Amino acid sequence: MDVEKTIRGLKPLEGQVVPIRTVQETRPQEEFGDAFVAEVKVKSASKVIKAIDTAFPKDPSLPLSHLRRFARREMLPPRLRAAIESQSVPLAAPTQTIFVLISPPLPDITTLKALLTPFAPNPAPAATNDLPTTNETPDEASHSDTSTNNIQIHPIKIPLAPPFNTTQAETWTKTLWPVVFNPAAPRSTVAPPPQTLKRAQESIEPRAGYYLSLARKVAEEAEQSGLGRGVGAVIVDPAIEEEITEAAYEAGYDTTTEWDEAVLAVAGDARYSRSEAGASSQAQLHPGVAPNPASKTYNADIEGGPELHALMRAVELVARWRREHDRLDGVPALTPTADPSKPELEQPELSALESYFLSRHRPGTSTNISNPPQSPSSPLKRKHDDANPESALTIDPSADPSQTQLHHPPPPAPPPSTVLLADSSTPATTPAASRIRTRSQGGYLCTDLDVYLSHEPCLCCSMGMLLSRFRSVIFPRRGRLGTGGLSSEPVVGPVADELEQAGEADASAVDRQDERGYYGLHWRKELNWRALGFEFVEDGDGDVESEAEVPVFHA
Amino acid sequence: MEFKGDSVEDSRHGYFMEQALLMGEKALQSGETPVGCVLVHNDQIVGFGMNDTNRSMNGTRHAEFIAIAEMLQTHPRSALQSTDLYVTVEPCVMCASALKQYRIRSVYFGCANDRFGGTGGVLSLHSDPSIDPSYPVYGGLFEKEAIMLLRRFYIQENEKAPNPRPKKNRELNTRFENDEAPPTW
Repeated sequence: MDVEKTIRGLKPLEGQVVPIRTVQETRPQEEFGDAFVAEVKVKSASKVIKAIDTAFPKDPSLPLSHLRRFARREMLPPRLRAAIESQSVPLAAPTQTIFVLISPPLPDITTLKALLTPFAPNPAPAATNDLPTTNETPDEASHSDTSTNNIQIHPIKIPLAPPFNTTQAETWTKTLWPVVFNPAAPRSTVAPPPQTLKRAQESIEPRAGYYLSLARKVAEEAEQSGLGRGVGAVIVDPAIEEEITEAAYEAGYDTTTEWDEAVLAVAGDARYSRSEAGASSQAQLHPGVAPNPASKTYNADIEGGPELHALMRAVELVARWRREHDRLDGVPALTPTADPSKPELEQPELSALESYFLSRHRPGTSTNISNPPQSPSSPLKRKHDDANPESALTIDPSADPSQTQLHHPPPPAPPPSTVLLADSSTPATTPAASRIRTRSQGGYLCTDLDVYLSHEPCLCCSMGMLLSRFRSVIFPRRGRLGTGGLSSEPVVGPVADELEQAGEADASAVDRQDERGYYGLHWRKELNWRALGFEFVEDGDGDVESEAEVPVFHA
Repeated sequence: MEFKGDSVEDSRHGYFMEQALLMGEKALQSGETPVGCVLVHNDQIVGFGMNDTNRSMNGTRHAEFIAIAEMLQTHPRSALQSTDLYVTVEPCVMCASALKQYRIRSVYFGCANDRFGGTGGVLSLHSDPSIDPSYPVYGGLFEKEAIMLLRRFYIQENEKAPNPRPKKNRELNTRFENDEAPPTW
């Protein structure tokens, strides 16, 4: 295959880049929970809080600091106030009361009543000559008037997540329970900051169609080789893209012809390439047959494993390149392994496209790997203002000391070089310009890189993507898979009358689609690492029943 | 899982978890996050794994994948359906999905992983509906030993970090509260 010609001949996908919403955004109904409200004496307020907090520990994973702990009667939402007043007994007139919120995890109501009874306001008839005194203790109160101090517990609904804006805060305050809007509270656990998302989307849009077209070409190559299913991955460095764009802007010409300059590595699926227990691999069992017959069905025993999926292989190609080049750099390996029980990930021989993109990184000629890169100075100006949003938003970057390595000082930034614009068909004359940063140049995992995929990655690969610290992940909507880990909601289906005409078969396909898990793994509040997720909606996708015809497998 | 150490079955589980802990110890000596595991097939250890992300410069090289790679040198993939995993820390989301795709028979782990756990810590992929069957998970086996391994790792200064945080005054915490959240990795 003439790789250069193949790449030049690629037609970009036509369509739109659309952010994948987060599960926090697509499942707002999960954000409401049950709580209790009880009326207590104002003077007991701090004792009440202490008693509640001591008796019922909070769930640290459910911060509820947006909810007011107390509300005065006039602050109660009207409907709640009416409900409470319809059930309450008249109080001793001078008694000042306040309403306390008991939030989830909810205690047993009998326990709660017993705990709060000492703080209950005194009812009118019994309390006329028994006004609370300032130094009265709960015990005295309960002893003096246990039978008449009857605490009322009212069930309510509360928003479990803080409000997005003042409007939402006001609505909740009027209908549910008084809520505080804190504009400084990070909403990054719910969704990426809009400006971060917008900036990444703008950097992705111009060339996404090309990269995804390349990912499909890599997928086709994987399928035609018989080594794997038709799935492909392309790793791109947005810093190089920016470099090209700036240089071209200064020179005043169109940059789309150099779209592949920012590609660091490509990899196809290779699940049929591995030999297990010394037996022939699925690819060896069917030499020259493409696609591999194993791909017609899903038989777990011959599916290889997720480390042979396209995304995982692409990540390993970058890692392997870095291991080799750091050795050449003279950087001592962290811990040389002589342990035979720790084999490297077994990789099949690289395909034409895979080796083309990987060998391009090599300084000098593509075969002369003994010529070390001229480190530490990189010809690439690194842009760190577009860093992985997570590096600033990590919940606790100290959790894993190894994770803090991504804050290597940026390498020296010489002015933009024309090296990147050199004709890529003449790598032999290209000076040492490594696209992948070595460890000594600050390269760490896939930090700040983007990955383009022909299909939605499986749950395992989606988490592998996060653990590799990619900035963004992009796949075509047509590549959605029921086994995928990134989608957060169904594609908006055909309107109802169209659905009826489609008949039972299609209806069941829609049902299946609804049954799949929508994990939205790229941005989950519970996980320590997050990435931006995008789908590429191709022109005319509205007419396509995307997931119905795709065979079931993990990509 | 209730582990009392007073039955033959318990001591069998205990033996394999001790082997996983030894792998975790080895990871600690190599400067890796100390997570270790073994794969047990017909009462034999057929794969040893320890976290290998720093050496390999690949953040996905977790202990489970290393152990599976070793096992597949001598066994076909289908053997995983009658294989159990003993791992010191609850498998992460990535590994929980991989183990499901590989159709592991069951998983025994030491301490929970409330940042990345895929078998109950954050997600419950082991039991979620999917095209692969669910697998049972038993946690809490040698939990304190697994936590102590992690604590010993996190008390170290990270020389590779650009601005290593001085931890000279830190003391290794050897206490266990009633329901303390275990450290995570």
